Amino acid sequence: MFVPAEKVSMTLGERLSAAVGVRGDRSVEAARNTGAAEGTRDARRSGPPGVRIRDLSVVYRTAAGELPAVSGIDLDLPPGTITGVVGESGSGKSTLALSLLNAVQPPGRIRSGSVEIDGLGDVTRLRGENLRKARGRHIGYVFQAAQNSLNPLKTVGKQLLDLGRSHEIRDLRGLVRDAKDLLGRMGMDGARVLDSHQHELSGGMRQRVGIMFALVLNAHLVVLDEPTTALDMITQATILRIVREVHEERGLTTFIITHDLGVVAEIADRLAIMYGGRVVEQGPTTEVLGAPRHPYTQGLIRAIPRLVGDLGEARALPGRPPTLGTVPSRGCVFRERCDLRMDVCETEEPPAVPYGEWIVACHAVAARDAETREEKE
Amino acid sequence: MTAQVIAGGDARATLRRNFRRGVWRVLRRKPSRMVGVVILGVFTFMGVFGPMLYPERLPRDDNALYAAPSWAHPFGTDFEGTDVLALVITGARYVLLTALVTAVITVALGTAVGLFAGFRRGRWDAVLMRITDMKLTIPALPLLLVLSTVWKFTSAIEMGLVLGLLGWGGVARAVRAQTLSLRERGFVEAARGLGLSTRHIIGRELLPSMAPFIAMNTLIAVTGAVYAQVGLFFLGVLPFDANNWGVMLNLAVFGGGALTTTTALPYMLAPLLAILLLTLGIVLVVDAMDEIFNPRLREE
Amino acid sequence: MITGQHITKTFRQRGSVLAGREVKALRGVDFAIPKGGAASFIGESGCGKTTLGRIIAGLESHDSGEIIIDGTPMSSLRPRQREPYFRRIQLIHQDPYSALNPTRTVHQTLDAPLSLRAGQTGRSRSWVDGRARELLELVGLDPGYVLPRYPHQLSGGMRQRVVIARALTVDPEMLVADEAVSMIDVSLRLGILALLKDLRESLGVSVLFITHDVATARYIGDDGELYVIYRGQVVERGHVETIISDPVHPYTQSLLSAIPVLHGLERPGEQRVTPAGALDESRHDAGCLFARRCPFSTGRCESEQPVLGHGGDTPQEHACFHPTPRDVVAMPIGRS
Repeated sequence: MFVPAEKVSMTLGERLSAAVGVRGDRSVEAARNTGAAEGTRDARRSGPPGVRIRDLSVVYRTAAGELPAVSGIDLDLPPGTITGVVGESGSGKSTLALSLLNAVQPPGRIRSGSVEIDGLGDVTRLRGENLRKARGRHIGYVFQAAQNSLNPLKTVGKQLLDLGRSHEIRDLRGLVRDAKDLLGRMGMDGARVLDSHQHELSGGMRQRVGIMFALVLNAHLVVLDEPTTALDMITQATILRIVREVHEERGLTTFIITHDLGVVAEIADRLAIMYGGRVVEQGPTTEVLGAPRHPYTQGLIRAIPRLVGDLGEARALPGRPPTLGTVPSRGCVFRERCDLRMDVCETEEPPAVPYGEWIVACHAVAARDAETREEKE
Repeated sequence: MTAQVIAGGDARATLRRNFRRGVWRVLRRKPSRMVGVVILGVFTFMGVFGPMLYPERLPRDDNALYAAPSWAHPFGTDFEGTDVLALVITGARYVLLTALVTAVITVALGTAVGLFAGFRRGRWDAVLMRITDMKLTIPALPLLLVLSTVWKFTSAIEMGLVLGLLGWGGVARAVRAQTLSLRERGFVEAARGLGLSTRHIIGRELLPSMAPFIAMNTLIAVTGAVYAQVGLFFLGVLPFDANNWGVMLNLAVFGGGALTTTTALPYMLAPLLAILLLTLGIVLVVDAMDEIFNPRLREE
Repeated sequence: MITGQHITKTFRQRGSVLAGREVKALRGVDFAIPKGGAASFIGESGCGKTTLGRIIAGLESHDSGEIIIDGTPMSSLRPRQREPYFRRIQLIHQDPYSALNPTRTVHQTLDAPLSLRAGQTGRSRSWVDGRARELLELVGLDPGYVLPRYPHQLSGGMRQRVVIARALTVDPEMLVADEAVSMIDVSLRLGILALLKDLRESLGVSVLFITHDVATARYIGDDGELYVIYRGQVVERGHVETIISDPVHPYTQSLLSAIPVLHGLERPGEQRVTPAGALDESRHDAGCLFARRCPFSTGRCESEQPVLGHGGDTPQEHACFHPTPRDVVAMPIGRS
């Protein structure tokens, strides 16, 4: 089998799964990214880490030059909270998630900025083996479409052992016990699941197995990329409940990436709305949803079909989300679809203005706020 | 692409023009592809015009049997003192023509059978695939050996015909598999739901989606056919009527002892080099097929 | 008018060592969709709603029961004769990415069915081109921009509109939209739903909407009927607004409870129902199919099979021995 150069550094177990996996890539990557290199499994230390993302920019090389997928993002994940990022296709949310692991793949690269994780330092500066070790010790990653990221030719248990061996864990019995506990905690028969192949599990079960793989090495920072896409409502509700409970029981810092505002609304403490590679609004979930300030957030909430209320009130946003190639290089990225558009939006990018914990990047909001303040004075 | 008013024939002309531009863009994207195109161009030229460049009977030089490479004879001469390069060039036509005929028959027959079986499924599928399997189990080489005792492949087209008829099984199987997966796609189902004819569905919906696959198979069939016939001639099971790379190899090895002495080495290496170059050219061009027939990859 | 009577369908696993393993996808479903009307099939994945939609669109066969299109029972016709009937029912696929041929421009995609029609009715070339533009405008696209483009050059929302325009080339009586917005960007979903609703009003096309999300079903039209399907059986059926405001079947209540609450904007219903386990695949067929997952099941539910009806004088039909309305739907927080 042809092994691409960047995979040469894989350990034996990973190479094995790559060699037999028809869709091995994802499972290998998952294994790599969740990988702990420690021999000891004492990791119930320290408590949840905090994360500080500062001025992060990620660019992709294309025929038209380097285009930013994420530009100048500032975002904090306070320790022990669930933070949700909501964005449509092309908003840069998945790229942001990958940056947390310094796992942006070429032709993409992190151009500037830092991602500080407690007990780990700036992830963007880590390289090679250090990065691999760091990823495992701290960060568990549940991939987008985790439902399909298992190796179809091996049982879940075999893949678990591969994961353990490739990360030099001596106490494999302990690992299996932990996995069974986790699966049992998520309402599944651990022993049976470990004996199963991918095709014997339903979508919701695979998603839970994905979460187990992310947590079994005792990561305390968990990134879930679109955890409920392609699941139906009842399964989605179950998964979200499990994420919330596991989050609390194990003392995690959780980061959820999704296109579905509802998912974030249901479980996140804090929420960030992304558009065109920027965070346009962020703050405590209930406050932001209760009285959104940014016109995009308002539009997004209006665009969600609801069970009650006036049918005429719900409206789709006009226009369409920008892609890598169509994000305007100057001014506000949302102006084309915005009701509150002003002249200044054409030329200047709106700065992120904090209102306590709540941060909004919009000229119109800033202007209105200045007005009301003047009136008060 | 420019937005413009579209009306029937106009649209088709525009599409064709865009397609040609796209192909050019794809080929220029990697230098290796251009190299491949040039190599194939040279071989095509050799096949079409090669024999016209030399007299009917190639000149012999009795004083220079198995001559070493020189300016006059870049690859030396053979046992009769004939220029090896001239032999390679004049021999190209038979080899390439056979290869072309083989490729066309392999792909046309294989695609037709595969498409029909995959699209119709059911009884037709079962019958056609049983035939294909039977055909696949017939070992080609022994059959060819038997055939060659009763049939002298003097014309390249006959040779190609036989190789083609022996070779379509693999393509048929692969095309059938592709068809089975494509017919479940939304757009094929939609075409059926709209009442479009089977001819439209096969010709306009399925075939273009398989174009890169078919083009690749054609090119690969060409190399396969070259190996097969050169092999046959090399083994000496076919009469040496014409100039042919396989004949050259045979004479170099069994007549000139090219494997044990160095004198006939250039005589053996020249046709080998030609085959190698042809394969290389094809491999380099095959790499572009996916991008040529996929509008998304073509435009970018 | 399209009706179905007691449609059943069983999938058997063929060629498997475990031959004889069967999945009952549909266990006798009745439905009726009036001309220009709207109906929605709701349920989890694997409940049989997609299979039913495909049977209605003529893309799948059923084992027993009858489909009646405009008064003609389909079983009375030969397969060839059925085709024109089923052509009046067009399926809109869930995935606008695979529903359009990537090697063909929008112009080519619309041209083929329109030309076929022009040939049959003796219309001219210019009618074909004019009609293509008309249809694109009808679905809210700019023909000049869209016609020469390949699918990959369009957004998901635009593609889905092209798919709808293509379905309209045969002047269908009904569109079957199978999860037609689930793969489209959130901000654009309502646009597609609104389009389907507009088409109902302007063209009199009836719409059958298949989804797992009850909320989207409302937007096809509040006059529509809702069919809640569980393991191949309709468990609750009635007017959309009635079922949303007063669901009586615990399964319907579970579906409604599962819709995420926009905390801060809404307060959750006070009696949210959480079913046990996943879609039951243990294949027990005795009694109520939902009994094993139902938090309210009794001994009767385990042994006896409930039948769809108005038991307990509910406005909607349901198949439950203990129909009880529960407050499961999130309500907007009134802002003063």
